[in-house]
Amino acid sequence: MVPTPLVAASHQRPLVSGDRVFSVIAYGAAALIMLIAVIFIIALFIPALPAITKFGLGFFTSRTWDPVRNQFGALTAIYGTLVTSAIALLIAFPIGLGAALFLAEDARLSLVRGPLSFLIELLAGIPSVVIGLWAFFILTPLMRDKVDPFLQHTVGFLALFKGTPTGYGFLTAGLVLAIMVLPIMIALSRDVIRAVPRELREASLALGATNAETIWSVILPYARVGITGAVLLSLGRALGETIAVTMVIGNTMQISASLFASGYTLPSVIANEFTEATGNVYLGSLFYLGVVLVLITIVVNVLARLLIWRFSGSARASA
Amino acid sequence: MMSGARFVAAASSVLLLAACGGNTGVTNPSTGGPGVPTPPAASLTGAGATFPAPFYDAARFAYNQKFSQVTINYQSIGSGAGIQQLIKKTVDFGASDVPMNASELASAGGSDKVVQIASTLGTESMAYNLAGVSNGQLRLTPKTIAGIFLGTIKNWNDPALAADNSGVSLPNQSITVVHRSDGSGTTYIFTDYLSTVSADWKTKVGKGKSVSWPVGQGAKGNEAVATTIKQTPGAIGYVELAYVLQTNMTQASLQNHDGNFVIPSPEGATAAASQFLAVNPSQFSIVDAPGKNSAPISGYSWLMLYTDQPDKTKGTALVDFLDWLVTDGQQYAANVHYARLPSNIVRDDINSLKTVTSGGSTLLSVPAPS
Repeated sequence: MVPTPLVAASHQRPLVSGDRVFSVIAYGAAALIMLIAVIFIIALFIPALPAITKFGLGFFTSRTWDPVRNQFGALTAIYGTLVTSAIALLIAFPIGLGAALFLAEDARLSLVRGPLSFLIELLAGIPSVVIGLWAFFILTPLMRDKVDPFLQHTVGFLALFKGTPTGYGFLTAGLVLAIMVLPIMIALSRDVIRAVPRELREASLALGATNAETIWSVILPYARVGITGAVLLSLGRALGETIAVTMVIGNTMQISASLFASGYTLPSVIANEFTEATGNVYLGSLFYLGVVLVLITIVVNVLARLLIWRFSGSARASA
Repeated sequence: MMSGARFVAAASSVLLLAACGGNTGVTNPSTGGPGVPTPPAASLTGAGATFPAPFYDAARFAYNQKFSQVTINYQSIGSGAGIQQLIKKTVDFGASDVPMNASELASAGGSDKVVQIASTLGTESMAYNLAGVSNGQLRLTPKTIAGIFLGTIKNWNDPALAADNSGVSLPNQSITVVHRSDGSGTTYIFTDYLSTVSADWKTKVGKGKSVSWPVGQGAKGNEAVATTIKQTPGAIGYVELAYVLQTNMTQASLQNHDGNFVIPSPEGATAAASQFLAVNPSQFSIVDAPGKNSAPISGYSWLMLYTDQPDKTKGTALVDFLDWLVTDGQQYAANVHYARLPSNIVRDDINSLKTVTSGGSTLLSVPAPS
């Protein structure tokens, strides 16, 4: 580890000890991160034990959440978490990618590019509770009076848009999440699209491809690893978002095909109920929900690694 | 820390200024008035229920004005968390809308180790959003309230509702039920009421700070429930009276045990409470009270402290404060829309405080009022 001194030892010694100090600090910092992660997982796991021993893996498939009878299951909250995050990505992906392409590719509008980039970063910086407040007071009445009736009128034959809209529920929560993940989606995609080598674009254009063809068959395939990463980071944000979702999802323990229906997400249940949760099993179940949420996040991260590994592997193979 | 405490004190002073407006016969600030002992210098910390927090804030600020040597901090972090803090002995007193149960008392060292006193009294309203139906015009019976929250009454034009509301035009509109999503004493009192008046509710749902709701949507805190009702046409929900009055919501007349329709009020809560003479930490429900003026959805809030106080000075300051809170301090309840404790409960509280000791000697020295 320590490099062999090249000059007189008397000059080298202070440098070596400086290196040592630095490496100790660096190792220490790395060890501290691992320690924090381990302590965190243990601290989450131990209070969850009463619920884990009582409900076992059945916790994942049970729809019951009854604090009176001390019966708990996570399925409803898992469903709500996945559905709202899926809605968020379905909305944010095309819009985010379009905006990123515009920002990265369309040089004619360089005048608006600066202010637009600034606005996107501003949107990313708005605290979620402020977005939640806006959604609670402005978005929910708008959804109830305008958007939901419109959807019901046009595509109301689908089971997704049945029932009486109250303005609260999966759709509104998904929309709020979409707004929150858009800045991440746009900024990351823009950067990876910009990183596509200029020679590739020029070669494609020189071969007679249109701008659209260049984007579709050269830029997007090249940038897909980075775009996948942007999607998964957005998903991570959407899965864990708590307060803004709590304010608009309606906080109802139910699984419903209708996007107008109220639901619940894992972080919302924890945030709502922990202050008054008495008894080991009840509190343990809330911690168990936390374990489930961490597990989902880990699965998403592993999937992200696998996807990126596969994409970059196949890209290398075809090159 | 200091600036935080000052901020709280400043915020409380706004409440106090409002509180001072209607007061007559305030006791002499320098002596504390007859029957109020001069407490030793101490800094006390309590934590727990959010429901009575506005009252505690107004009262502790007034007490600090009277006795500047005593500072009292109160963290409104929720009843469950307040009980946990008391069990871990990180606070001097805990506060909860529901008294500690047997297993919580066992964690605290046994039921004889903790004194629990009723500190204030609150009542709940059924607030609604119906165009053309003004405040107090909607009449609800125990049966229709249970029906709405069980989901058997789904529309405002339901015959069961129309039967009690002749002369009121109830629209053909679906009912949106709004309830608390966070665990709360408010929910406990409301579900205790429903379990008392409806056998169906008792078997299907039961009572608790959080329950498995058959219908409706949840909102976090009284404020969010109130706002959701205000924003949603056709909505109804249970909200603490204080929030209904402060935000000018329309609330229903509720049929009480005697069959009278009453609009919930602090006086109605006191009337309901005075019907139950033997209230104690294991027998504390006062919902669906008899009496012609009784507000049906009422309940006490509780304070807990250890019987054996390790620090004699602190313990003395604590029981002196609590003694004042349940007597003179009650005058600060009305201004934040809480109800005065009935005299029998005040007597029980003081007798309980007299059992608090430190090193074997009793800490409270005032006589209980007759």
